[in-house]
Amino acid sequence: MHTSHPENLRVTRDTEHAHHTSCFDKVEACMAQSTLTLGVEAVGCAAFDAGIMGAFGYPGTPSTEGFEYAEAMIQAQPEGRVAQWAANEKVAYDLALGVSYAGHRSLVTMKHVGLNVALDAYANSALTGVRGGLVLLVADDPGMHSSQNEQDSRKLAEFAWLPCLEPSTVQECYDFTWRAFELSESLRVPVMVRLVTRLAHCRAALHRQEPLSPSGLGVAPKETVQDWVLIPSNARRRYLDLLAKQPRLIAQLSPMNQLVPGSGSRGVVVSGMGRAYFGQLALEHPELAALPRLEVAAYPVDPRLETAFLFGLEDVFVFEEDYPVLEERLGFRGTARVHGRLDGAVPRTGELTPRQLKNALTLITAEGKGAITLDLPLRAPRFCDGCGHVDAYEAMQSALQNLGVPDARVFGDIGCYTLAAQEPMGAIHAVVEMGASISMAVGAALAGQTPSVAVIGDSTFGHSGLPALLTAADSGVNVTIIILDNRVVGMTGQQPSQALDQVERMVLGMGIPEAQLQVLTPLPKQHETNVRALESALRYPGPSVIVFRRECVQSLRRGVLKEHDREAEARLEQACCTPELRP
Amino acid sequence: MSDLRIHGIVLSGIGGQGVLSLAQVVLEALRRSGFHALQSEIHGMSQRGGSVHAQVCFSDVPLTSPIIDEGCADLLIALEPLEALRYTAMLRMNGQLVVSEEPQTDMEGYPPLDDVYAALKRLRGCHLVDTEDLARRLSFRQAGGMALLGLASAFLPVSDKIWQEVITQRFEPKGARVTEKNLEAFQAGRGLVHDPVGA
Repeated sequence: MHTSHPENLRVTRDTEHAHHTSCFDKVEACMAQSTLTLGVEAVGCAAFDAGIMGAFGYPGTPSTEGFEYAEAMIQAQPEGRVAQWAANEKVAYDLALGVSYAGHRSLVTMKHVGLNVALDAYANSALTGVRGGLVLLVADDPGMHSSQNEQDSRKLAEFAWLPCLEPSTVQECYDFTWRAFELSESLRVPVMVRLVTRLAHCRAALHRQEPLSPSGLGVAPKETVQDWVLIPSNARRRYLDLLAKQPRLIAQLSPMNQLVPGSGSRGVVVSGMGRAYFGQLALEHPELAALPRLEVAAYPVDPRLETAFLFGLEDVFVFEEDYPVLEERLGFRGTARVHGRLDGAVPRTGELTPRQLKNALTLITAEGKGAITLDLPLRAPRFCDGCGHVDAYEAMQSALQNLGVPDARVFGDIGCYTLAAQEPMGAIHAVVEMGASISMAVGAALAGQTPSVAVIGDSTFGHSGLPALLTAADSGVNVTIIILDNRVVGMTGQQPSQALDQVERMVLGMGIPEAQLQVLTPLPKQHETNVRALESALRYPGPSVIVFRRECVQSLRRGVLKEHDREAEARLEQACCTPELRP
Repeated sequence: MSDLRIHGIVLSGIGGQGVLSLAQVVLEALRRSGFHALQSEIHGMSQRGGSVHAQVCFSDVPLTSPIIDEGCADLLIALEPLEALRYTAMLRMNGQLVVSEEPQTDMEGYPPLDDVYAALKRLRGCHLVDTEDLARRLSFRQAGGMALLGLASAFLPVSDKIWQEVITQRFEPKGARVTEKNLEAFQAGRGLVHDPVGA
């Protein structure tokens, strides 16, 4: 499948050849037997096999394992490749764009709301274009299993005038990612591979292709400066180029979208999991296989294909995951009645299910054992036993109580510590997006709210709390910022935090005076000390920062930072013993 | 089982009990037995002691949907009785349930235990397993999941040899003792009486 790679001549020096052969033996052994992988892992695996030089990302369910799979493969077989978590999604995207500029293939991974953070980079990279193939893995979360919204990344691809591929099986996750790299290089634009939770976390057998070694086109030549420097005069021309490229883009994507002829006046349009569910239903209900069908796997869709499909149809059912993207387009295009999320044939929000397809197509559903009459309360997630966040929140609540403001409104942020919004703790009262706690607290303080408190984790602080803290320090208002430093990205599986061992220096560097920074240990036996420290911070009329530091109990159990801490200790010892460094 | 029929298994429990790990053993065993198999799981918030569930579908023909529709699952393996009740509607009329009796009551509003057991016992094809007692007898705290799988294996078209291979491979990295204990727990479950409690 990797034929359209004309400029990517494989650079293989003789000395490297023997090494490659042995690696290929291993991979061949691995390929002989298919492996069971998650859909999102299949994307990471394909990116490795397609010869990426770099993989980047910021953790976020359900995208995390895509980066981690590529990372594991790169660590096992580096050959100059790199895998690096970034401070946030925008940084990750720019890292990938830099690799592309240097002439290599790169993968960048994030969840749907992460693309909002990276949108500036993503939308503008449509104008610069790419050199080495750049593939963006975005995992959407319809039904909001672990997200604050269910926005549809296909809309952002359309917004940026960029192609989006939408697989429906684990194998397609792999195959489409290969295809995405080829398209990216032949069209010279970034290509999005869009997954949804159900596919990202579907596990199935995967068949790999023979992997490519990372190779390069060399750094962008100097004359491309007119493409890469987006000053208005260049940007105007590049925007026209991007628009002029659209017909070619549609033509190259077109083979991925299929018009399957059938009989009758009813037709179906399927994409993503809708395509997967419909395909399987058609196995059980052969009459469905006779319906005229439009199968969409790549966007933008050729309008002529849509028109050809709609010809002669009276009723069209659209099964797509998330927003009514195809449904809206088809509704404008003909006289057929279009049924989907907009007319209620499918619920307006939430995850698509096979049952919804059956209901819309009025298929008979199975009579099962039936539900239980007993009332079943939800089992909500909760803090781990011994979690330091609990001690920090308890100290905060006691301090607020002691100051006579037990019902203070506290701004929270995104991570495990968001669980504190649940009753009975009810310790935070607004959680919007990564980094919002600090800026919202400053805003509220500027509007006169006292006390104004923000609670943010160390990784979220590094992600987008930093610029907010710069503004907080500059504002001079009475705001208390509590940084819960558990040293890892706890929620998504204890990835190392980029802010590891740096939080105090970061706080001071943003302009918070040393006297207004306190570092505390969240432990029950420290409760009284912690409460007093918080009270003084809350009373202080300007911005102050409290850092609660204790490692996440899960990462401690797994020994995630063991080696890091041992090395740090050894370095410290060595520094102490070196005579010239002694004071 | 060589037909067009699609078989479904639901596995449920709470975060930390090893539901996803158990689902992976089932998936691998079915795949090695020559079936086309898919597994669906939900991560994220569920990792923090919330409800967790996974589904495994398998068939003689290639599958594309990892989710089972309500009323279509053949088997439910639950590591906790309340977490079993959440998914009974997934089962077909003659589906089987293999459920741990051991409740995890650390949550708001857990219903009276007698009501939970009574609701389960009313269901035809329900097998309750005293995993707590089994763990004590085997001196293996995490015996429950494997024992349930051992009992459930009576309803799955996988040979004993393949189960042994898959379980061994899964736990080998954790050492010989862990592997042995898991195999022992599986066999103990397999040896349990298969008569369901439900009427």
